[in-house]
Amino acid sequence: MPRISEHVGIERKPKLGGGGPGKIPHRHGYGGGDDGDHGEPEDFVSPKDRLRRYRIGMTAAIIAFSTFFIGMAVSYLLRLGTPHWDPELGHSVRDSHVLALPYPRLFINSFILLLSSLTLELARRSLLAKAEFAVMGIAPPRFKTELPWLGITVFLGFAFLAGQILVWNILRDQGIYLSSNIRSGFFYMLTGAHAVHLAGGLLVLLWASISSSMRMRFESRQIAIEVTAWYWHFMGILWILIFVLLHFSKG
Amino acid sequence: MVEVWSLGYSDENGVQGELSEIMSRPVPMSTQATSSGWLRRLFSTDHKVIGLQYFFLSLAAVLVGMALSLLMRIHIVWPKVVIPFLGAIKPEGYLGYLTMHGTLMIFFVLSTAPQNGFGNYFLPLQLGASEMAFPRLNRAGFWLTLVSFLLLLAAFFAPGGASLAGWTQYPPLSAIASAGPGQGSGTDLWLSSIAIFCLASLLSAINFITTTLKMRAGGMTLMRMPLTCWTWFVTAILILLAFSILLAAAIMLLLDRHAGTSFFLPSGLMVSGVAIEHNGGSPLLWQHLFWFFGHPEVYIAILPGMGMTSHLLSIFSRKPVFGYSAMVGATIAIGLLGFSVWGHHMFVSGMNPYAGFAFSTLTTAIAVPSAIKTFNWLGTIWRGHFRFTVPFLFSVGFVSLFISGGLTGPMLAQPALDIYLHDTYFVVAHFHLIMGMAGVFAIFSATYFWFPKMFGRIMNHRLGVWHFWITLFGAYSIFMPMHLLGMAGHPRRYSELTGVQYVAALAPLHKFITVAAIVTIAGQFLFLVNFFWSMFKGAPAGENPWQCTTLEWRLSSPPPQHGFGNDSPVVHHGPYEYGSTELHGAVAQQDFLMQDAPANP
Repeated sequence: MPRISEHVGIERKPKLGGGGPGKIPHRHGYGGGDDGDHGEPEDFVSPKDRLRRYRIGMTAAIIAFSTFFIGMAVSYLLRLGTPHWDPELGHSVRDSHVLALPYPRLFINSFILLLSSLTLELARRSLLAKAEFAVMGIAPPRFKTELPWLGITVFLGFAFLAGQILVWNILRDQGIYLSSNIRSGFFYMLTGAHAVHLAGGLLVLLWASISSSMRMRFESRQIAIEVTAWYWHFMGILWILIFVLLHFSKG
Repeated sequence: MVEVWSLGYSDENGVQGELSEIMSRPVPMSTQATSSGWLRRLFSTDHKVIGLQYFFLSLAAVLVGMALSLLMRIHIVWPKVVIPFLGAIKPEGYLGYLTMHGTLMIFFVLSTAPQNGFGNYFLPLQLGASEMAFPRLNRAGFWLTLVSFLLLLAAFFAPGGASLAGWTQYPPLSAIASAGPGQGSGTDLWLSSIAIFCLASLLSAINFITTTLKMRAGGMTLMRMPLTCWTWFVTAILILLAFSILLAAAIMLLLDRHAGTSFFLPSGLMVSGVAIEHNGGSPLLWQHLFWFFGHPEVYIAILPGMGMTSHLLSIFSRKPVFGYSAMVGATIAIGLLGFSVWGHHMFVSGMNPYAGFAFSTLTTAIAVPSAIKTFNWLGTIWRGHFRFTVPFLFSVGFVSLFISGGLTGPMLAQPALDIYLHDTYFVVAHFHLIMGMAGVFAIFSATYFWFPKMFGRIMNHRLGVWHFWITLFGAYSIFMPMHLLGMAGHPRRYSELTGVQYVAALAPLHKFITVAAIVTIAGQFLFLVNFFWSMFKGAPAGENPWQCTTLEWRLSSPPPQHGFGNDSPVVHHGPYEYGSTELHGAVAQQDFLMQDAPANP
């Protein structure tokens, strides 16, 4: 998507080092961040700085989420890699269960999730383009070009979750439950944890689409969608990694 | 719908005139006054309020934890004694106290006060910012921590009492409700509490990292940050990685307990005469996950203390920190190495000897950055112009305890020695000295040091000195004899060994430890009295009573709610410009240079 305008290159303030100037609000009190975000005109630091700050925060959060899932995935690999004691046979055995993954359903779900990543990216970019007006000090156009893309993303997100529930139902019909064996336990836990995380992102997107028709400050909306888009793309990549892990460990 | 765009805002490309107009606008005091009711103050997003909230939460936790340790010490020496309101302590009661003591002290005191308490209050101020990066996230973090704290305490009142499985919660004991009196809802409460604590810590860590990276004042380069900020930053990274793993592990253990999974439970287990349903899990997996969190957790507890010690030794020796960049490097090295040594907690759990060798080598390697730090502390105070204030005394005490507790670390890191010493009082002595006592000394030094900034008054010197000497001698009297207990083979965690032949000879030593503990705990009331008395009656502190260089001392004491407000500082100097009156020509009356003093006076 082409940018609507270029930056107007007025002289930059010299950076004195570190995080540079302007990271705290040059106005009365209360500090920066999302505090004081009450829709009052004075209530902001430079929107760009706020955006950068939220991106860093989301990066840190994504590192935490990754570690959380890496912990579970490594546990899975360790459990599969090491034999466990079978008291009836009297010696150690490797897990012999086979997990029949419902591939068609899973592929459809993956496609839906990746498609939703694409639509959200379009929403994100249309907001970013609008933000260029803000750089010039002009009110951005009122057309809500991001709204349809947001709506489609939310729909696709719900479709993915519904698809995951179908997957779980298919497995349940085969008599495979959370407690059945090592593979099924990790399957439900990994996909379940992913679904819970995705649902969290979905809530933020829902809130952002509703708030875009309320008196919500433009740049707050932009930040919400920006960082949720990062999160959403991360969820997509994570889903692919989980899928690959499940595929190669199905027995 | 009205968009608010045309009203003034500015970034580096924007319209400066409008910005300066906003800046020159007076602070609307009236709106502040009306909006700061006590409820708003309680649920504030102000980092200073949240920092104090964390601090008082820790204070409550440390009082409960200390009372539990007292009960345990009394029970070890006089097992039949009847405690008022509690009656005689049963073995399961003792184990419940043990679990709660460890959990409270490690999570709610050592991980909370130095990082979230002082960090929240002083990280933004030392960086020259007026707030944390995400104030509302910060508030959510505190209230989740409070919920977690209350859930943990609720375990005392659960049927069967608190969990018996220790702060490490090894399965199968922790995974099966029928395994013991506290293993039902007591353990559920423990696990939920810790899972929520993990979430809260993650929120807080994200905030710390973003604040350090994005909120620094102009001129505050990374290598101009006070060492306290460096340690808070590295600790936040450790929290981010370690607590995510603990959260995953806690969820898996909860699933084992309630959803019938077998992540940690092996086949063929008989508990209380009943065969359990689970099969195919591995209790060792929990130990790996737990200690992958647990060892970095040790550094989460002690790194901020190291930063405070470096900071205070420099201030009260009136000398720059010796080897600032080496200190930064050592902090990062300790953080990195901390993730590769978890196996040394599991030498006796069944481990490939080669893995044991690797873990042993890596563990010993941590002695290198630790020694760099110790050497630099000694270098900092070498030929200093000392001001023997209470925070200085506690910092020197920290170094002392860090060395005496640290020297047993490389000993325990040898698998051959550890197999003998594991699960004895030797280990108890080691970690209480280096993590517990040293960590608490750092908290004390920070409290005495920053009290004037937080409450505008100075804590009483004489009471503080008494408190220091009682606590220092008390700490050594309690924990030094425990080394001897451990070498004699006295196992830890048992509620009562008075009838056992080979430990009977050690009873006098135990009595001595208990008496020392009672005296030391009594000495802590000096601190409490001093703290609350000074809050109202202490001598007024003024802006910069210790003559420090860092930015928080630029503000009035206590700092105004809006922090630096419009007057954002610009930093021109490093944080430890002490000791030379030639630093700044014209104003040579003082021996220090504020970080935001003019570059060319």
